[in-house]
Amino acid sequence: MSIQPIPETVPAPTLVLRPERGRRGIFGGRPIWLIWPSITLLVVIIGIPLLIAIYISFLNLDQYTLRSWIQAPWVGLGNYVTALTAGNVIGASALTSLGVSLAFSLLTTLIITPIGILAALTVNTRYRGRTLVRTLYLVPYVIPTFVTALVWRQMFLNGTGLVDRFLAAIHVANINTYWLLGPNSFWAMVIADVWASWAFIYIMVLAGLQSITHEVYEAADVDGASSWQKLTRIVLPQLRHILALALLLSTLYHFNNFTLPFVMFGTPPPLQADVLPLNIYVSSFQLFNFGLGGAMSVITLIIMLIPGFVYIRALRLGEVTAS
Amino acid sequence: MKANIRSACPWLSLLMLLSLVLAACGGGSGQSQTLNVLISYNSTYPAQQRQWMQQIASEFQKATGATIAWDTFSSSSEEQTKLQTSIVSGSGPDVFSFGTTFVPTAQSTKGFTVLTDQNWKQVGGKGRFFQQQLTMAGSSPNQSIAVPFVMRPFAMVYNKELFQKAGITTAPTTWTEFVQDAQKMTNPSAGVYGAEIDPSDSFDPWKIWWMFAEQMGGSFISQDLKTAQMNSPEAVQAVKFWFDWATTYKIVDPNSMAWKAGDAVKAFANGNVGMLIMTTSTLKPTLQKSSVAGKYAFAPMPTVPYGLQQRPANGVPAATIVSGDMLAVADYSNVKDLAFKFINLVTDYQHQVQWTKTFGDLPVNVQAANDLASQDPLTAAFIKAEADATPTPFTGEWGPLEVALAGVSSKLANEVATNRYDPSHIKPLLDQANQQIQSGLH
Repeated sequence: MSIQPIPETVPAPTLVLRPERGRRGIFGGRPIWLIWPSITLLVVIIGIPLLIAIYISFLNLDQYTLRSWIQAPWVGLGNYVTALTAGNVIGASALTSLGVSLAFSLLTTLIITPIGILAALTVNTRYRGRTLVRTLYLVPYVIPTFVTALVWRQMFLNGTGLVDRFLAAIHVANINTYWLLGPNSFWAMVIADVWASWAFIYIMVLAGLQSITHEVYEAADVDGASSWQKLTRIVLPQLRHILALALLLSTLYHFNNFTLPFVMFGTPPPLQADVLPLNIYVSSFQLFNFGLGGAMSVITLIIMLIPGFVYIRALRLGEVTAS
Repeated sequence: MKANIRSACPWLSLLMLLSLVLAACGGGSGQSQTLNVLISYNSTYPAQQRQWMQQIASEFQKATGATIAWDTFSSSSEEQTKLQTSIVSGSGPDVFSFGTTFVPTAQSTKGFTVLTDQNWKQVGGKGRFFQQQLTMAGSSPNQSIAVPFVMRPFAMVYNKELFQKAGITTAPTTWTEFVQDAQKMTNPSAGVYGAEIDPSDSFDPWKIWWMFAEQMGGSFISQDLKTAQMNSPEAVQAVKFWFDWATTYKIVDPNSMAWKAGDAVKAFANGNVGMLIMTTSTLKPTLQKSSVAGKYAFAPMPTVPYGLQQRPANGVPAATIVSGDMLAVADYSNVKDLAFKFINLVTDYQHQVQWTKTFGDLPVNVQAANDLASQDPLTAAFIKAEADATPTPFTGEWGPLEVALAGVSSKLANEVATNRYDPSHIKPLLDQANQQIQSGLH
């Protein structure tokens, strides 16, 4: 006997839109003007600063030209070239930091995904104490990031930190192993972030699991499906869309995570933990090289748009397939 | 009629939005004048600082009829961000408080009022203040932008008990003696080290290297402020000597490569460090609550380079930089008179004495400093140290230079931590930092 994957979306009843005429047009007479305040705010809060950031990325804007920044010397693509080759005085170029950020965000997302799914599965069905477990699962996620970073910094201090003490006690590593410097700093950052953020995937997956009706499981039981078959043929296909969204948001969040490395390592951070947001911050606000920081920000934005674009395309493809 | 209402709706919503914006912008009009002041948050004495703010605000209101709106920053990063956004937007605090070494960078933004003779009279005259402090008030005596507020000379603090155990009777005056004394106190099996090192700190490395280099006759920037000299032999030797504490002389905790200033203070407070350099008298409250309470003493830092009996002819003691906080008035401020009255108030004799007694910083007011020095030998020693202080080069690139040297320190600490350290790597790193700073020198 085989269990067929069920379609993840039920075709919606066909809506037949009547052609509208004149002023009613494509908006169907809806009071579309009500969104103007929101659009105005979006333009003021996001649109204009974005345009200014792009403009700044072409300027030699530093402490000397800060006050009259509009008249700062135009350097064309100079800041972009510097960002991708030379980097700032700390040493890491935007390309190096980009590599660190990509590795950090992808790896963290990769690790927290199975943890989040497993955690969600453990509290999906009713049992005594489920509410308590659900609450406990959320603890790492609700702790402010700077507190998490401070605690992990203390734990990763070599010699005196809990991590070194524990590893030395079980004879895995030397008690004087450095975690906040050198290559280990990258892994320290990943571990701290995994601890703090796995609950995000858990929340998203749990929401998806709750939307799967009992009837589906009951039908699978009637067909004699095993737990593994239910997971792989029912649960995961049903979670596909919400999981894709969770992975996208998680990757973006980790890529843009500034607070954790900033508090854990301070400035300047070790090269292995010099993520792009930190590099941009140091370049702009500590070295007063706002043009370079602007160029790095624009590069970040372009890179961040790629997964978002892919996700939207995939979603549309799914909608077309479903319909 | 219905159509008219519908067509009026977009205009109505726009009108409402404009009203909100205008209401937000014009919220303060029609009230008494307000002076916005940005100062550093005092985490050691938060309650006393609140009380001080209330008292000053009350006295200020009695004298001028104006109110004070306080704002605080808790880190140099926050301070810089507030300053940058204020300069760009042309609005924000009227009075800024910042560290002496940040004055050159602040002046390079051209966002602060250049003090006229009249302004100096308003704040009590230049004669009110320590002359050394005035060397960091502006790029030249005619281009001052900052008025001294408090001073904080650097010194070293040592553990008297560890000194006694090691048979040391007086604090070292040369770096050779310093290393020898530290070696006598070092006992790794007991977790005790003669000195400390914090190469992952953002500020300590440059201060310490600058002091070593100046004592050897070097300087990070030429006197005409046009040439970066961060890769000079003296600078290389300064960096090497500091890391030698960990790699050659073994007088510091081998686990200290990731340390910041706070970690070093904690180790000293726990009784695990013999000598803590580049510290100020403001550390006293922390130490008084620690296991070394009553067992520590302050002393000037050594002034003779390692391996020498005396300083080279062109070397300077540089036992401390001209250190402390200064007050500057934003150029965009429309209550500058009030700002100068405020500065006059907080730097007068009475308030300077009160500040010192409450917070431990030393007064910049000469009369207050002399009176306090006559009452307490420790204060007298610190005031003498400040009188001999050496100013850092007055260039707008000094802020980036500090960050660049912190970057060099971080990389070398990485190498030591991963057993890849080689002293020959110091010069190329300093070359790279020097090149970047040189490109910004105007």
